[in-house]
Amino acid sequence: MSEIAQLLLSVIQGVSAGATNDDLTKALSDVPAATRVEGLNILLQQGSIEILKKGEKLVYRAKDPQKKSALPKDADNEEKIVYDIVEKGGDKGIWIRDIRIKSNLNMTQLNKILKNLETKKLIKAVKSVNASKKKVYMLYNLEPDRTVTGGAWYQDQDFEVEFVDVLNQQCLRFLQMKRDNAEKKRDGPLAFKQMSCCTVKEVHKFISDLGISKVNLDEDDLETILKTVVYDGNAERILQSDGSYVYHSVNTPLPPPGLVQMPCGICPVIKNCSNCGDVTAISCQYMKEWLD
Amino acid sequence: MSADYARLSSVVLEQCFGKVVQSVAECLFAASTRTLSQIATATNLTRKEAGLALAVLIKFRLVSFKASTGNPFLPEYSLKREDVICLLRYSRYIHLVQTKYGNVGASIAEELLNAGSETANGLLLKCLVNAENKTENAESYRDTFLRMIGDHYIIKMPELTTGDDQDDCVPKFLTNECDFFGPPNIDLQLLAKIRKGEASLADATNSIVWGMNYDRFHQEFRDTVMVDAIERKLGENAAECFRYILKLMYCNTDPWQRRVSNHITFVQLKQAIEKQSNNLDLMKHLDQYITLLADDSLGFLRKVGDMGSGQYVVDLEKSFESLAFACVEAVITERFGSKAARIFRVIRMKKYIEQEDLQKEAMIPSKEAKSLAYNLFQEQFIHVKVIKKPGGGGTGPAKSFYLFQIKSKDTVRMLLDTCFKALYNTIERSNFEKSEHKGLIEKSQRLDSIVEAMKERGESEDYIAEIAETFTPPEVEILNKVKNRIKTLSKAELTLDDTIFLLQMYQHHCTTLPTGITKFK
Repeated sequence: MSEIAQLLLSVIQGVSAGATNDDLTKALSDVPAATRVEGLNILLQQGSIEILKKGEKLVYRAKDPQKKSALPKDADNEEKIVYDIVEKGGDKGIWIRDIRIKSNLNMTQLNKILKNLETKKLIKAVKSVNASKKKVYMLYNLEPDRTVTGGAWYQDQDFEVEFVDVLNQQCLRFLQMKRDNAEKKRDGPLAFKQMSCCTVKEVHKFISDLGISKVNLDEDDLETILKTVVYDGNAERILQSDGSYVYHSVNTPLPPPGLVQMPCGICPVIKNCSNCGDVTAISCQYMKEWLD
Repeated sequence: MSADYARLSSVVLEQCFGKVVQSVAECLFAASTRTLSQIATATNLTRKEAGLALAVLIKFRLVSFKASTGNPFLPEYSLKREDVICLLRYSRYIHLVQTKYGNVGASIAEELLNAGSETANGLLLKCLVNAENKTENAESYRDTFLRMIGDHYIIKMPELTTGDDQDDCVPKFLTNECDFFGPPNIDLQLLAKIRKGEASLADATNSIVWGMNYDRFHQEFRDTVMVDAIERKLGENAAECFRYILKLMYCNTDPWQRRVSNHITFVQLKQAIEKQSNNLDLMKHLDQYITLLADDSLGFLRKVGDMGSGQYVVDLEKSFESLAFACVEAVITERFGSKAARIFRVIRMKKYIEQEDLQKEAMIPSKEAKSLAYNLFQEQFIHVKVIKKPGGGGTGPAKSFYLFQIKSKDTVRMLLDTCFKALYNTIERSNFEKSEHKGLIEKSQRLDSIVEAMKERGESEDYIAEIAETFTPPEVEILNKVKNRIKTLSKAELTLDDTIFLLQMYQHHCTTLPTGITKFK
């Protein structure tokens, strides 16, 4: 029986796009249909081939033997199926609900299988940063994607505010340093502007040399940080002719506005303030503190 | 016009003109036009009182009137609501005149502002009486007055149309655009005679009335705001360059044109600067400074063509949008913290953004980002746009997307109303402090005048000191405290007005709202 299976496998491996039933009958015309089916079943059980549907026809395709080897020989059918589904999820992982729908297994069984695979260190569960309760599964040896872990800014599931703030300050400091240096040389306004601009690469080098980050930051990470500096209103982002951006620090165009120099500008209850009622200028506590 | 502004203008009018005028103005504020009898009934004043109040308001150019459409014998009055706040800017106007024309100019401006509107002779006479002991002579007053007219700071009021025989018709005025700033004939000999009592003011044949041209001042303030912004951001030379650009702009543009100015070419600018400036660095790098201004994100200057080695326009719309939002952002930073300002800027740059993308873009943890964004939403700094995807027919649940956005006009108007409220509060508070310590203030004033009189009489020092001591130390302490408070409040009033002015400029240049700003008023 196994000889026939071997024969079938070699035929299927010969056709890279996958062999149809017709291909098989042509190649092995002396084998009766019933034996062929049995042989295919053996191969399927071993996991050496897979069945795909191409239009109305079934296609048999050989599987990469290296991938197969990750799963131990004694794994049963359900485990294999679940493993396959998780494998297809790639480094983005797959949610348990999706596994259940795809595999058509019931919850208790699926849980058992997943636990089993986890203890065998074949797959792992990773918590997603987008939804803290949502667990996704992926193969054990994969590095989770940035969308799942949140990249360098997340320690487990927590966003590292301090880390981002420190980087933000350092980037700003670098931009300002650059500006101060440019100010010392008097080569006309355009030269000054050009000299105060920095590319992401320069900032990246500066931050790496500082050594404040234990995590390896790439240029994309720093670009996001530089954007926050821009959003803080301390820098500007300028598009270059080659499509890249440069950054330079700027001053605010206005002195602090008059409104915020008195309590009404920052008053949390200004909406309720009126000439009658509980909040009035005369009974105002903020006003009193400010005037005394 | 908001309720906040109504309250503010009411309290301002009370402060300047008293209760009667206040109630008449309040009545007019609420309606577009009213007749005298309507005003009298609504305010419970006699016709005479209401008429007097209207006369005061008309003299100060706060009320205008014209014949009713149905009845040419019946005048209808309306309040120029936007101009009420100008009453608070008097000190700024005088200060500007002082820096431009010195003390003589300042005293002319002061008299003219106090009178509302006045004939040239009457005005100069008042100034001369005030300046009795000073060295300036009548000529210098006349010359300064004429210079101020020439620079459009003082404007001719419309003249009565004559030649109409119907006596009891509502008076009509003749407005002649070309003749707002024609210099009047001032007879100094006649003035001298009047002062000696040999003639009376009625002998002066010239009956043209003059008033302050507020919007000329506002133009000056606007220029200062823009030039200062450039100076802060791009340095002194760029600011000087921009000052020349503005000067050039006024040669061919109505100063209150709403969106953009007419074209200015590089050659024109270069010629102007070479003639008038002695800033070598600016001249050497002029083309660079222009590029710098045109490339800057504030967007004050925009290149529109290559004629005359570069054609530019001053983009007033973009300028005041940038400045007003710099102001809004500063307010948000102070009120909600810098993270909130970051969120606000992210929304402004992205135009529409969802909550999740917002926190990622701003790099703020989701809980904090949500709370800040919702706070901003609650205080109406940002707005939400809902996009609904219909899901009817059982094909699935209806889906909605909630996108944050900024409706800039609404945000600015909200902030402007807050400013009006704050200004109202400072005035109210200051009135309150004054009335609370009325007795004390009056006592100190009485005492001061007594001491003054005693010094003049030459009474002994000991005796004066004894009198002065009736004002006890605790009283002095309280009085100083109150004085300090009032000082802080009036300083706040001035700085608040800066913010109000900036936001009003935004409304003028970036919206189509009626703002009451015209070239001639």
